[in-house]
Amino acid sequence: MEFVVEEGKLVNEDCSTLVLPALSIGNVGQLAVDLLVSSTGAERVGYLDDPNLLPCVGNDAYGPLPCGDIALPLEVYESSSIATTLAQQRSPVAKGLMIKFAENIADFAASSGKKHVIVLSSLDFQRLHNLDLSRGPQVYYLSNAESDGRDDHCERLGFGRLREYDSEGRCWKYLSSVFEKNSEEELTFPSEDELEDIDYYPSLPFAALFSAFKARGLKVTCLLCYCSEGDNIPEAFLLAEAASKLTGLTPDKFHGEEGGKWRIPYSWKSMYGAPPDMSMF
Amino acid sequence: MEDVLTENPPPSRFFQEDLNNFVPPPESIPSPFILFSNPKPELPLRPSLLIIAISSPSLYVSHNLPSKTLLGSLIMPEVPFSGNTIEPSLEDKSCNIYSLSSTDDKNSILLVSVQLPVSPERSNLVSRLLIGQDIIPERVIILDSIQSRNFRGRLSPDETLAAKLETSAEKKATSHLVNLDYFPSGSVIDGLSASLLSRCQLKNIRGTLVISWPEFGPSVIKFIGALLKKIVPSLDVASVNKDLEKNSSRTGLKKDTWLDSDLYT
Repeated sequence: MEFVVEEGKLVNEDCSTLVLPALSIGNVGQLAVDLLVSSTGAERVGYLDDPNLLPCVGNDAYGPLPCGDIALPLEVYESSSIATTLAQQRSPVAKGLMIKFAENIADFAASSGKKHVIVLSSLDFQRLHNLDLSRGPQVYYLSNAESDGRDDHCERLGFGRLREYDSEGRCWKYLSSVFEKNSEEELTFPSEDELEDIDYYPSLPFAALFSAFKARGLKVTCLLCYCSEGDNIPEAFLLAEAASKLTGLTPDKFHGEEGGKWRIPYSWKSMYGAPPDMSMF
Repeated sequence: MEDVLTENPPPSRFFQEDLNNFVPPPESIPSPFILFSNPKPELPLRPSLLIIAISSPSLYVSHNLPSKTLLGSLIMPEVPFSGNTIEPSLEDKSCNIYSLSSTDDKNSILLVSVQLPVSPERSNLVSRLLIGQDIIPERVIILDSIQSRNFRGRLSPDETLAAKLETSAEKKATSHLVNLDYFPSGSVIDGLSASLLSRCQLKNIRGTLVISWPEFGPSVIKFIGALLKKIVPSLDVASVNKDLEKNSSRTGLKKDTWLDSDLYT
């Protein structure tokens, strides 16, 4: 993976936190990063060129009006006011290459001096076994602060620990062994036929990223929420707000519109396609 | 077979395997490569303009341009030659590289006709071959069609549309190769043309992707011919427009990959 600095831009060495999405149901992580980039006014400083990523291009996603600035599959944004780097991924990883991709991006994070990585992801609502609606939409987390995934700061913020995380589980151990170069255990690649329900969580892209960053000695926190596929804007807000709380962002650092603190990206205007053709009525 | 009424539907924005770390990596295929004609030109080639035709209309225009010299071919090992003809034909599965230049300015303008299917997974390798290794262009024009599956607006089959995306280097230049509106935000282009334009952006090369609609037909072919004539005034496009109206509305339609079968050549 090569990091290409955009012409005329400088990378801020003080941005020690990296926020990035994991591919997940409803594209929630990616939508959340869109919100963060748009609202914090973070500027694009470069691109990550990875051979495992499928290609895509588009017009500027954020606005206020699209001005023809090209958007690439994996872009890096920074805002010195929030001392945070945001990476946005717009296209999928090629089939079967997620582990290589995770390794590459962990290398980038480590070599560019990041200390804390926050991964935003959603989980399939059909996998949620203990539904508790009394507290409203819940953000879950997984951290490498402690071996059981627990983190005091996340607990104080009211996030729920992902109880399904089991560091000794077969698939979690496999992921750890793949990314830890000096691992003495040689574990076999789990075949699709062998996977059980409990293997759902480590099979997801966020788990590969978590394990890769952990292996590089970085602090990593995954912020998760359950959802079904549909209009996933509410979940994007939920995760973006959770990420801003975790990083200590305050509303005065956001550009607001209409009294709110979030700025809706311009590209969201056509997220669900064109309106219906009224001439048919 | 799953019961479509009671079983949970699969996600529509991803395939299940896109979200599964434990899908095995793909089998390794030999890399594509460029084979140059004899005598082999001096490498790297440094054209002032590289035109890459991917869409059916642009391939039709390219094929009918006279006075082009075949310099070489990009070979993809997974694409069989069966059915290809000795003389270049629109029906061939090939990726030929031509020089459009006069003898005075040899290889100054190159044309690549991408007549073979390039999967998104192989696009990065192909785009690296065409830009930045044996070919280092000053400017690039890529011609592709709007992909209706990725377009968030309305596309009428009766209306010819075109838009562009360009690299930062092209955008800040004082004169632009192509004068079109920008592709609307929220829609994306994927595949080989996206990979090529990304490569230009990463290499700080002046690149423009022109995406047109519909995917075939006389109107869009005339548009592409006129566009290329404007960019390269010395181009002879007269033979492109000849007998255009007599042909069917599916003039120059590139066969869908899934319709192709190696059984029929």
